Parts: sequence; C-alpha cells; structure tokens
Amino acid sequence: MITAGIDGGARAIKVLILRDGKQLARSSALTGFDQQATVTQALESALQQAGVAREELQHITATGIGRKAISFADSEVTEMSADAKATVSLFPQARTVIDVGAEEGRAIRCEPDGRVKDFAVNEKCAAGAGTFVETMARTLEIKLEEAGALSLKAEKVIPMNAQCAVFAESEVVSLIHSGTAKEEIIRAVHEAMADRISAMARRVGIEREVALVGGVGRDAGFIKALAGKLGMELFVPMEPEFAGALGAALIAAERARAS
Amino acid sequence: MFEPFRHWYEHRHEYAREWKSRTSGKVVGCFCTYEPEEILYAAELLPLRVYGSHQPSSVTEPHVFGMYCPWTRDVLAQGLLGKYTYLNGITISQSCLHFRQCFTSWQKHVPCEFSYYLPMPHGIQSPHGRKFFTEELKKFKQALEKWVGREITTGELHEGIEVMNENRRLLTQLYELRKAEDPPLTGQEALWVVASAQMTDKRDHNQALKELLPKLVDRKLDREPGVRLMLIGSENDDVEFMEMTETLGATFVVDENCVGTRYFWGEVDSERFEDPLEAIAARYLERPACPAKDWPELSRWPHIERLARDWRVQGAVLMQQKFCDPHELDMFTVKKRLEEMGIRTLFLEFDVTTPVGQFRTRVEAFLEMLRSEDLFAEELL
Repeated sequence: MITAGIDGGARAIKVLILRDGKQLARSSALTGFDQQATVTQALESALQQAGVAREELQHITATGIGRKAISFADSEVTEMSADAKATVSLFPQARTVIDVGAEEGRAIRCEPDGRVKDFAVNEKCAAGAGTFVETMARTLEIKLEEAGALSLKAEKVIPMNAQCAVFAESEVVSLIHSGTAKEEIIRAVHEAMADRISAMARRVGIEREVALVGGVGRDAGFIKALAGKLGMELFVPMEPEFAGALGAALIAAERARAS
Repeated sequence: MFEPFRHWYEHRHEYAREWKSRTSGKVVGCFCTYEPEEILYAAELLPLRVYGSHQPSSVTEPHVFGMYCPWTRDVLAQGLLGKYTYLNGITISQSCLHFRQCFTSWQKHVPCEFSYYLPMPHGIQSPHGRKFFTEELKKFKQALEKWVGREITTGELHEGIEVMNENRRLLTQLYELRKAEDPPLTGQEALWVVASAQMTDKRDHNQALKELLPKLVDRKLDREPGVRLMLIGSENDDVEFMEMTETLGATFVVDENCVGTRYFWGEVDSERFEDPLEAIAARYLERPACPAKDWPELSRWPHIERLARDWRVQGAVLMQQKFCDPHELDMFTVKKRLEEMGIRTLFLEFDVTTPVGQFRTRVEAFLEMLRSEDLFAEELL
C-alpha cells in the first residue's frame, strides 16, 4: 500500500511517501503565497523520486497549520496526532514528543500506540519557536546552519532574560556592543528558548523517553540546551522536520486499510 | 427559532433604547451577576448587564492597568466609547478587584444620574454573610427609593422575585433539554438565549422562552451531536468560538460560567424567610459561587460535578480570561477533579479577540484525543 503525508508548515511544506510502512521518498519546499502550487510541486517531486504515479497513492493525509489549503488530500489530522504517531513509530519507547517548528512549539504526551494523551502549544511567543534562532542568527551575521556548532563551542552560559523575541534582539545587540563572543550569545539564545520549551513541556507532564522533532531538531545547540534543562537525553530523528509528514502518511495508511 | 434571542444579542443597544421609548422607564447597567436584580425590577427599573464587544480598543489604557482581564477592560471601553449613553444608572455588587476598578473608572468618566457600589460580602461562606448582606440590601433599596422618589413595597419585591425566578425556571428547562442524547439545540444557540436574558426585560425574555420551549421538544438538528462538551470559566459571550468548535464535530451541552448556569442557577425561596430581602440575600450567597468569593471551600465544585455527570460530559473546555487570577487558581483543582472523573480538559486562554485559527487546531487535537479510539479507523476528521 502506498500513501502520502503532507505537512503544510508555516515555513516549509514537507511531503513523505510510504510503501507498506517504509519510506520511499520525501521532499520539501518553502511555503509560498500560493500554497496549492507549492504543495503540488513538492508532491510531484516526491512522486518522481519514488517512481510512483499519483494514481497509485491510496490515501493522502494532510497536517500542519496549512492543512486546510491542501484541497486534494483525502483526510486531515492535527499536528499533535501526526507528531505522536510518527514519534512512537521511530522510537517505540518515547512517551513525550516536543516539536519545535518555525512558528510554533508544542509538547505532546502519548500512549504506546501513538494516541495523544495531553498536549500544550506555544503560539503566542516567538521566543519559543525556530523563527527566534533565525532572527538572532541574522543579527549575529551567521548562517542558521552554523548556529548549532557555534553554540556548542561556548565556554560559559550568559543568562538572557528576554520575554519577547524583539526585545531579546535588543539584548543581543547590547551583548555584541559589550564585546561578548558570538558563540556565547548564540548559546544564550538556545538556553532562553530551551527555557520556554521546557516550561511548556513540564505543563503537559514529562514522561520518559522524550523525543524532539521539527526543524529546530537540526540545531545541535538547541538539543544540548533542552536536554540540559530537562536533565535527560533526547531522541532526535535524522530528519526531524519530516516527523509531521511521516505521522500523516502513517495515519493515511491506517485510514486506507480501514476503509 | 432562535431569531429573537440572536437579534437581542446582536442589537442589544437598540433593544434598550426601544424599551426606554416604549415604557418611559429607566435603565440600570449592572457590572456583576451578584446584582440583586429583583430589587431593581421592584423599583420598576430595567437591569441590564454591561457587556464587552470583542473589539480591540486602547481607550482604557489611561484608566486601568494592561494586566486587568480583557473582559473588564472591554466593558470599561464600551462606557468610554459612548456605547451605553442610554443608561440612567450603574451599579456593581462587590466583585473582583479588576471589575471594581473598572466600575469606579466608569463612575468617574461616564457620569450618570445614579451609581451605587453594593458591598456584597466576599465571605459568602461565613455564617454572618446573610445578616450582613440583608442589611446592605436594605440600604440599597433605600438608595433606589430616594432616586425613584417613592417607596418600594413588599408586594413589589415579591413581584420582582417572581419575574427573576420565572426566568431561572425557564432557562433551567432549556438546559434540561440539552441532557438528551441528541440535544435539540447547539451550545451557540443556548448562548444566544442566556446572554440575551441579561440584555432584555425579563418579562419579554420569559415570553419568548415560553414560545420557544414547546417548539424544541420535537426539534432534530441536521447534524450529529458528536463529542459532548462542557464550558467552564468566568465570562463567555463568544459566539464565534462556540460556532467554530461546534462545526468540528462537537456540541456544548452545558456550562459553568457567569453568563450561563452560575447566573441563573437556583431560585429565591420566599417561603424560607419572612423578609423578602433576606430571601434574596440567601439566594445570592448560595448560588454557584464565583471563584473571587469561593473560599475556604471550593463550593462551586459540587455544581460542576453534578453538571458534568448529569449532562454526560465527555470533555471540558477550561476557558480562562487572561489575567483572571481567581479563576486561574481554581483551574488546577477543577482540572484534576474532572480528570479523576474521566473527563479530559482543554485549557484555552482568551483575550478581547479570539485567535480562531490557532484555537481551531487545539480544539481539533483535543477532539481527536477524545475520539482516539476511532481516530485511525474513521475518516471523521
């Protein structure tokens, strides 16, 4: 059985194709103004990679903030259910999943079969989302991909009290003016973000093991900071940004079987 | 079928102005549901609750702190923006700090003929509460008598009690219908009814309810009820949120907030006391309590528990007005106890405007959680 999961995220659209539970292909594209066109393009690219014709897809499930705009999907599911499903399939021992994307952070507690037990979402404050690191990286004149490695080099932790991404930027500018090293500033950003995210996760209740998914899961500096705040190692997939699409594709397969 | 109630809800100011020109009567704005409306009816005055508008506004900034709850700021904004110029009087029955300051600011900046701060006791669980409040009600009655220029008779007090009690009985009957497996009305429709009860003359409202109730007996909605939800919180007149949630495969079957059951639950029992004012005092002290007054016991819990059980609630939305500390402090216990009953909860923080898109995803995820047994088997999402 071949199914697809499409995650219409705030920053990127991710498509993942599964055959009998195994990944055949995946692709992503930046979310443009014309979402329908971007989604179609990303899907075509994944189909081509997989060597599968569109008609062979038995079920497409959409998730993500833009899921309503994916009109050709057969069904939809929320990010929370998709994340939970993907996480237990990747890490059967995981019971809590933390998803940090471009514009949202969420923590989900789940059952062994991937059903959601409880969740919390941060969508009011940019200091708990990927956009925060991106903005700070720009201020520091470094590439986003370099932020993680640079943060790991920091020798000390500088506290950052900013509650708001915009004022945090002023704080970063002050640190630059006072001659603080870049690696220490980016580490401070990661620590501040991990503070926000771990507080949200504690609200939901942390059950071991904990997985981190979403695009920010690529940032080694953030992983280290969050693991430190929670006092435990985190399970992070190789391609954390595809977790939502994977969960949607798995749910698509279950729905196709049931119908 | 719900058109009169919806019309009143959407055109509340037009109704009040029309009522004034029809009756030549005076209208009193009430800031809290602890207001003894019975006495106002007895004085031939029309008590109306002052509501917010869900429109962002900055006019309150010079007068109250930004960390006052959005509901109180929205209410004060209506006064400052001149939406309630038809009010002849205003009154508050001692409420939370935010509302008290909103009231005193209104007194200062939007003057009208009559204003009265009624010291309703916070110690509603104190054995001295009834005696205290009865005496305060006497003073309130005297102040009203001075304003309207005549005595309020015992007979009129009983009439005022009956108008209010009839409304409470009819609203309770309406809520009873929502216990059904397939309720004949949605939560949004119920909200139009209860909210408009505080925006109209109860005699008009009672008449409309008497016409509505028989029509509901055989009514079948053209939708499946879905998940049975309860709404718990301080104030709610957010019809947009109700509509959004109910289009996702759920129905609000009951509520515990001060537009709904906390407002109309429990009648004044005139048989219990010789003095009608004491009977009124007892009703307000014994009604399901607002958390601002509910200590040391959490006396509102048995009310919540009963509603959740009798209306067979599957999930509860905990609606928190941002910065409302009394409610937020109760939420932990309410959440824990509901979950011990097997009822899952969704906590949402509300501001003047509702972020419908963000809330939609959270409500959908909550409903997926509640339906998780079927989640992967059915395409109902």
